Amino acid sequence: MMTYIVFILSIVFVMSFVGFATKPSPIYGGLVLIISGGIGCAIVLNFGGSFLGLMVFLIYLGGMLVVFGYTTAMATEQYPEVWVSNKAVLAAFITGLLSELLTACYILKDGEVEVVLKFNGMGDWVIYDTGDSGFFSEEAMGIAALYSYGTWLVVVTGWSLLIGVLVIMEVTRGN
Amino acid sequence: MKPPILIIIMATIMTGTMIVMLSSHWLLIWIGFEMNMLAIIPILMKKYNPRAMEASTKYFLTQATASMLLMMGVTINLLYSGQWVVSKISNPIASIMMTTALTMKLGLSPFHFWVPEVTQGITLMSGMILLTWQKIAPMSILYQISPSINTNLLMLMALTSVLVGGWGGLNQTQLRKIMAYSSIAHMGWMAAIITYNPTMMVLNLTLYILMTLSTFMLFMLNSSTTTLSLSHMWNKFPLITSMILILMLSLGGLPPLSGFIPKWMIIQELTKNNMIIIPTLMAITALLNLYFYLRLTYSTALTMFPSTNNMKMKWQFEYTKKATLLPPLIITSTMLLPLTPMLSVLD
Repeated sequence: MMTYIVFILSIVFVMSFVGFATKPSPIYGGLVLIISGGIGCAIVLNFGGSFLGLMVFLIYLGGMLVVFGYTTAMATEQYPEVWVSNKAVLAAFITGLLSELLTACYILKDGEVEVVLKFNGMGDWVIYDTGDSGFFSEEAMGIAALYSYGTWLVVVTGWSLLIGVLVIMEVTRGN
Repeated sequence: MKPPILIIIMATIMTGTMIVMLSSHWLLIWIGFEMNMLAIIPILMKKYNPRAMEASTKYFLTQATASMLLMMGVTINLLYSGQWVVSKISNPIASIMMTTALTMKLGLSPFHFWVPEVTQGITLMSGMILLTWQKIAPMSILYQISPSINTNLLMLMALTSVLVGGWGGLNQTQLRKIMAYSSIAHMGWMAAIITYNPTMMVLNLTLYILMTLSTFMLFMLNSSTTTLSLSHMWNKFPLITSMILILMLSLGGLPPLSGFIPKWMIIQELTKNNMIIIPTLMAITALLNLYFYLRLTYSTALTMFPSTNNMKMKWQFEYTKKATLLPPLIITSTMLLPLTPMLSVLD
């Protein structure tokens, strides 16, 4: 099972995306978002990016999504919409799940599948190759590069996050 | 909006577009688009009425979808070419996705439905920024990937945009919606020529921005958003009324004025590439555009609309509204035609 762990995690990833894409109430959407975020972290971890996976888990899920959950809980309604409460949501949910299961069955049967992109089988995901970057882990080198050559990227992303906060404040000001 | 916040947000709008135009890495370009979109939302929402909220929401949803499509195109390009540099996109799927995303951001048909509704819901100043500055960033990316754009797709979008821009604007009396349909039609003309001669696209974009800036400035001077209020302008600002006359004719693309330069150059470039029917169709459909500009001119400067007698004897205080850079804008939007031979420096 461990050789196919990335494949299984990817399928569960897509299915949990279907879970919040069918638009239940935000509190349930946030719940599924946390689960899918956790699974995404697990996929990153399986490719050797231990630092990045843990960062996303801690900061994104443990910080930002928790704040999102609390604010949604403050603004929630009396009868929030679940996946089974509304026929449209249920139908969309089942359609999404079925499409994903069918695609997964295709991959298991044929070995490859082509929808927009050609997925050539699980070769890259099962045979773990560290790449040609030498003795250091690529992921750690990438993070180090972010703070040495990539200073402009840090400035730009930091400014975007600040602007995000300022814009949210302006939009919700209301007068 | 408090002045410090307004300054920061305006600076971010400009920074976002600058980052898009000056980056060679696809990720930075996407970040620039997102920064631009985030920062312009409070500008669109200056007035806190439901109409403006709805307009900003529509703008946000379409632009976010387009950014996602762009990111998908970038990722597919990364998969097949292995690098992030903005250059020729060899994979056709990536190229089509990027083209679709960028035309969605511009408001080309069939993704034009948001333009009139968003432009109508916001103030004149925000509409001006939306229709001029926001077109620069996607156009610059289309310029950079122009060798690899699928011509059939873009030409189809361009042709339908010119048609939509012409027919859609015919039944409008609200000035912001008229300018929105004018924007759709002009974007169509620009998109038609990108794959053949991208420099003409830049020429068209520059002249379109100058003309649209002038038009919006004149509308803001009078604070008029409908044809009816524009028709009362003869009494308040007779000089501005004549400016509206020549500016509308220039927007319509009539010969002795500079609005004719891009149309002429585009038709010339298209015929150099052995395309006869498409430029003919585009030129004929531009007449629809000219019709509603002429209708505006007619009601503003050439006739006196029926009005009550006290509207004919208006008095008011000395005028204090500032129209920034209005004289140079009007002169460049109407009198640049004799300078067209300067384009020969490109050879």
